Amino acid sequence: MNDTRLIHQVGVGALEWLHAHRDGFRLELDVDPEVGFLERFKPVGELALICKVLFREGVAGSRQSALARQLIDHAWCHTLDGGRMLVRGQRTEPLSPIPFEVYLPFRELGYSSPEAERAFRLNQRLDSFAALEMSPVRRLGLSAFQRRFGLPPRPPEADLVGATWLGRAPEPWTVEGHIAYDITHTVFHLTDWGENPEGLPAGVADYLATWLPVWLDDWLDLQRWDLLGELLVVDACLPHPTFDERAWEGFAAAQQPDGTMPAVRTMPQGEPDEVFDIVYHPTLVAAFASVLATSRALTRLAHTPS
Amino acid sequence: MEQSGTSTRLAGAVQGLTSELVSALRSGDRFRLAGTVAEGHGPETAADPSLAAVRVVGADAVLPSVLLRSPPPDPDDLTVLSKAVHAYPPPADASPTSMWSHWAMRRALLRLDASLDGASGAGPEPGAAWLDDAPWQLLTHQLAVLAALALPGEDCAVARAARRRPVDVARGFVRAVRRRDWLQAAGAGRWLVLLDEVPRTLGLDTGLEFVAQMGGEDARVALQVEAAQLLRTGVLV
Repeated sequence: MNDTRLIHQVGVGALEWLHAHRDGFRLELDVDPEVGFLERFKPVGELALICKVLFREGVAGSRQSALARQLIDHAWCHTLDGGRMLVRGQRTEPLSPIPFEVYLPFRELGYSSPEAERAFRLNQRLDSFAALEMSPVRRLGLSAFQRRFGLPPRPPEADLVGATWLGRAPEPWTVEGHIAYDITHTVFHLTDWGENPEGLPAGVADYLATWLPVWLDDWLDLQRWDLLGELLVVDACLPHPTFDERAWEGFAAAQQPDGTMPAVRTMPQGEPDEVFDIVYHPTLVAAFASVLATSRALTRLAHTPS
Repeated sequence: MEQSGTSTRLAGAVQGLTSELVSALRSGDRFRLAGTVAEGHGPETAADPSLAAVRVVGADAVLPSVLLRSPPPDPDDLTVLSKAVHAYPPPADASPTSMWSHWAMRRALLRLDASLDGASGAGPEPGAAWLDDAPWQLLTHQLAVLAALALPGEDCAVARAARRRPVDVARGFVRAVRRRDWLQAAGAGRWLVLLDEVPRTLGLDTGLEFVAQMGGEDARVALQVEAAQLLRTGVLV
């Protein structure tokens, strides 16, 4: 890979946009009960996870670090009202794992809500919580978060990998959009969102090294930027990332001058809030893919004999 | 309008010839190439596209004789193949695949009866360097176009290029299936059954069945899948 600068710039632009639009991360207090109060928590949790990666990898530069810190502070202090919204969410839906999942990256970044933690700890001792029916990849993510929180994972992650689509290494030509997202999230959970690439079992890493180039080629041509970005994260999690030049060039070219990444093809039209809800995720993913790939590329440089 | 009518008739003739080849491969019955082509004397009989269809189908027009334990083709079958070889020589600026598919026809003639092609033999192999430099996507596409060369024991430069890159051809197969390019997938699949070190996770056997199920209405797809499956089970001469 000879263009780490291009990869880095994607993340710089994405973070600038996320910072400028941080008010878009908002909860709806008077939401229709049929929609649910927790519906809008997911973006906040994703934002925290990715800011954590930004701090951890330490390759973002001082301005980016400052922007990420302001973003995460804003999310904790304003959006989550210092954690009070997590407590409220847990009281609204006591069995939901979402407040816990949103809380974890904040806690790892030094934020704390003892009241929310008390609720999580009781909640997770319930047999009902362990019995909640969910897809294997979702359960894998929950077990990983339980481990990171210091709770016993129920069940242990190693027992879950084989039940995921990726863990079974099926025919690569059957992959479509939903399966591809299951693949990317299995990788995120197994590697603690890129922190521990060695968390990928060798067989899974081999499988991905063989077939990921095809999926990158495919979703690049389909201009599915959100999914392509997640697949570029997967590449950066492999023992030997390819930093696929064609995919990165296409991804960078799709990014708007203000740093937004469209989800599919081109930018959507509509009210600002509606547009935010469509593009915040691909833009977060762009920041995530950029920082991980930049970090891996620099690591490789550092280990290359001159 | 006329051009379009001509190509439609040619496409129809290709489907007709290919369907008969598929039937012959499935049933093991004797296939008569001579029976599929009307009497004529080359491209000037433009109203009848059957000889052009033989050129399009290429060396696969005698595939049953190569793949099945059947008696060698009759001389008049080989005469038809020979006629197609000589009626449609590739121009000097022909694409590599055009040169190679023509070479493959001459090679097939030589294999089945050297006397019919005079002293010329199959001639020297065209160059294959373009495959060595090709990214996996292009490699697979070109190999699929040249699937008639995917035969056991074939040791030409194209086959050697394929043997050097089993993972790339496997990737191309996945790409073709994802894009619903069943003809390319079937041609790539035919190559893959002949290659060593194809990743086990490809799932080639069910992949071929899937391609036949999804794209087999096109006789050209059915022919390549049928050939691949025959090669797989080893029912060979």
